[in-house]
Amino acid sequence: MHKPLYHYLYIKSPIAKIAIGILALVVTLAVLGGIIVTEVPRMEAQTANWNGRSIEKGAALFASNCAPCHGDHGQGTMNVAPALNSKYWFTHRLDDLGYTGSQKSYVLLTVAAGRPSKVNSQWAQRMATWSRNYGGPLRDDQIDALANYILNWQESAVEQTDEEDPWQPFDGVDTGWAGVRAAEAGITETVGISDTQTVSETAEPRAPEVLFVNMGCSGCHNLNEPQDENTPHLVGPNLGNLAEVAGTKVPGEDAETYVHTSIVAPNDFVNPGYLPNLMPQNFAEQMTPEEINALVTWLLDPNRPQ
Amino acid sequence: MAVQPETQNKGFFNTILDLADDTFTRITAGISAGEFRKMLRGEPPGRPNPRLRPHSDSFLLHIKPSYYHESVTRFTHTFRLGLLSTYLFILETITGAILMIWYAPTPERAYTDMIRLLSNVPLGQFMRDMHRLGAELMVAIVTAHMVRAYLTGSYKPPRQFTWFTGVILLVVTLFLSFSGYLLPWDQLALWAVTIGTSMAEAIPPKVVGDTVNLLARGAPDIGSSGLLRFYLLHVLFLPLILILFFFVHYYKVVLYGISLPAQEEEIGEDSAKKVPADRRVYFLPDVFLDETSFLLSVTAIMVVWVATYFQAPLESIANPQSTPLHTVAPWYFYWLQGLLKISDKFISGVLLPGVLLVLLMGIPYLDPNPSRRIKDRRVAIISGVMAGVVMIIWSYMGTPQYAVQGAPPIEVVQEIMPEEGAGLVREVGYKHLPNGDFLTVDTDTLVRYLGEEDAQKLLDSGVVPMDNIHDEDDPEFAEVMHEFAAGISEQQERDANFNNVYGILHVIQDQPHLKRLDWEINYLSGEGESDKFVRSFWLHEDALYWEQYARRDLSFISRLTEDGGVLGSMKNLLGLE
Repeated sequence: MHKPLYHYLYIKSPIAKIAIGILALVVTLAVLGGIIVTEVPRMEAQTANWNGRSIEKGAALFASNCAPCHGDHGQGTMNVAPALNSKYWFTHRLDDLGYTGSQKSYVLLTVAAGRPSKVNSQWAQRMATWSRNYGGPLRDDQIDALANYILNWQESAVEQTDEEDPWQPFDGVDTGWAGVRAAEAGITETVGISDTQTVSETAEPRAPEVLFVNMGCSGCHNLNEPQDENTPHLVGPNLGNLAEVAGTKVPGEDAETYVHTSIVAPNDFVNPGYLPNLMPQNFAEQMTPEEINALVTWLLDPNRPQ
Repeated sequence: MAVQPETQNKGFFNTILDLADDTFTRITAGISAGEFRKMLRGEPPGRPNPRLRPHSDSFLLHIKPSYYHESVTRFTHTFRLGLLSTYLFILETITGAILMIWYAPTPERAYTDMIRLLSNVPLGQFMRDMHRLGAELMVAIVTAHMVRAYLTGSYKPPRQFTWFTGVILLVVTLFLSFSGYLLPWDQLALWAVTIGTSMAEAIPPKVVGDTVNLLARGAPDIGSSGLLRFYLLHVLFLPLILILFFFVHYYKVVLYGISLPAQEEEIGEDSAKKVPADRRVYFLPDVFLDETSFLLSVTAIMVVWVATYFQAPLESIANPQSTPLHTVAPWYFYWLQGLLKISDKFISGVLLPGVLLVLLMGIPYLDPNPSRRIKDRRVAIISGVMAGVVMIIWSYMGTPQYAVQGAPPIEVVQEIMPEEGAGLVREVGYKHLPNGDFLTVDTDTLVRYLGEEDAQKLLDSGVVPMDNIHDEDDPEFAEVMHEFAAGISEQQERDANFNNVYGILHVIQDQPHLKRLDWEINYLSGEGESDKFVRSFWLHEDALYWEQYARRDLSFISRLTEDGGVLGSMKNLLGLE
């Protein structure tokens, strides 16, 4: 009979085998018991974890998609997009709008479905539809992450003083906030709504680089990156090499005509791979013809400072 | 039997005892209470052996042999690897069936279902971790089982077909594990499976490869159809195939018996079924006890492992538009990934695995050597060990360490804060990352790189140089900065176009409970032009990141006090609040 050298290591006693089995069972049950007892705090930690990770994801999305208009810190951009890191926005905006849902559903709705341009709005720029369900680029989980990120400002925003609040209503436009402040000061008279949408005839023409930001172009068009298949782009095509590609888009249209048409009538030619109706179609009313021409020249300048 | 005449004959007390014994014997399928007591005492059975009855009466035991040869019951002969594989399959079936309750195989739901399972289902994470650990162990154990059978020459006649079915079981196990990989629908899953299925594309002729790929993915890219197909493969088709071949395999094992140690029989002889009476070890109670205590011990090890050192990974939701840096296959496919790096898809994805598989299945029919003794099988043993070494080398080439390196600054950041997964910074976490700007070099080095004036300008802006970051202040943060600096100097040595490098970590409080980390790396290219790389990440205070094989973060236990201790937590769990 061949027995290996280490045969004395074999456990032969049935009692020892039973003891090992019972010990293993006890260890298993004890550890399982420990896991069960701590399940509630573990689930709480996991819930907080996934909420935190969602906020992290939302922060990255906000930086690349929303910050160009709404500002790096959610402070908004004058004439383009409202502040979100704002006490007013968190505390009174929904009341003033007459919106009955929650702050989060308001954000989800606005990000997903966008905002149609309003005749009496102080915001010249139309919020794009961001959800894939409405033709935008983002998935539902990304929209949820964005909403979580935006709402994460609440804790510090509600501590803002009136001076710190970046919410800046247009002159002469009642956003409601003025009314609230007036009411708090004991004044009941509110300022009437006026139409600021029309272009002021007397004002100096605005510079193209100012227009590019104020009209919200920068929200969807990257000025520095070239327009080709390999470079990632925002909602609209990149404009880095516009001078080279503009003349090749529509047969019979030179670069100036093409860019001009693209601004005043964006749907006349939509680049393949992009969606129609995303770009506002009322720029001809928002800018004077001189301003538009200057913008076209500036966009087509290959040496435009970046 | 009629109780009344019994009672008249034997008296009330004895009738009750007999009834109890009868019930016991029914439950144990033939072992009476007295016999059971004898077993526990270690007494030998009487003749004829009453302990054989369960093998004819009980369904579950009728497939087990009633006795074994003493030599094959030694632990070191088989290591009980076949039994363990079977047990792991049962464990996978149970945990898998439980996980199915909370899972829907659609891209809209799969990932959120995972998050819900982790954060809202009591024992959900435990079940998922056990299932994942069981799956990986099963691959390892089935492979080890095959290696053992190869080394002991157990595939030789008459067990050729047993080996053949065993190879099929190994392949099915690999596919089972791989098909389960996609189901969490995270980046890890999507890209590992995309790479895996793309290998099928390389099958010639093109129309066949394309068709196989299309059938597996359900569309040109993996989407809802692909997920559903992998789900059905995972929970239905592959387990059915595995069960079928398992029974063939096991039937053959019982039919021919487990092969004896080679020294104990003549060359070319197979005496496994001719067990002399004095060498018999009966299943009841000896082998049964061995197997039960062994499986209980393995279960205990797995549970302790899951409770302390193993967590199934879950990365960001699958995004077909962005390929994460350094996508890795599961470890048991590292060898394939390594092969893919050195040859084209057809050779490494189709030809070599195909040849390997055919060779593996054909081993018993190709090996002409009748002897199972190690000293007679030098060629077989050496070629087997060589094959193992080659697999390990290929696997090493498949690891991220051997990966195709990206640009140096990208690699530096990837090392310390990867796009997906944990990394040192996320493990150290929010609370050990003070707001501010921190340099990876000390003042002297900075002056050498930038010149007196520029260096002073940078320092005046409030950047903290390395000489002011002390271990005593916060060892965790100091470790982050040291690792950042170490990563930079490693890449600096490797790449001639990466010189005079200094990194700056900007930690910015972006929102309440949310910090932004900007990893800025300044360097001189080979031509002496200065360049800058910046990568931003956000880190939330509550975010937990984990490595699959690292110590579990148990800090959540401290929340118990907030929940009113163990009692309050249990009330909460049972909904008694």
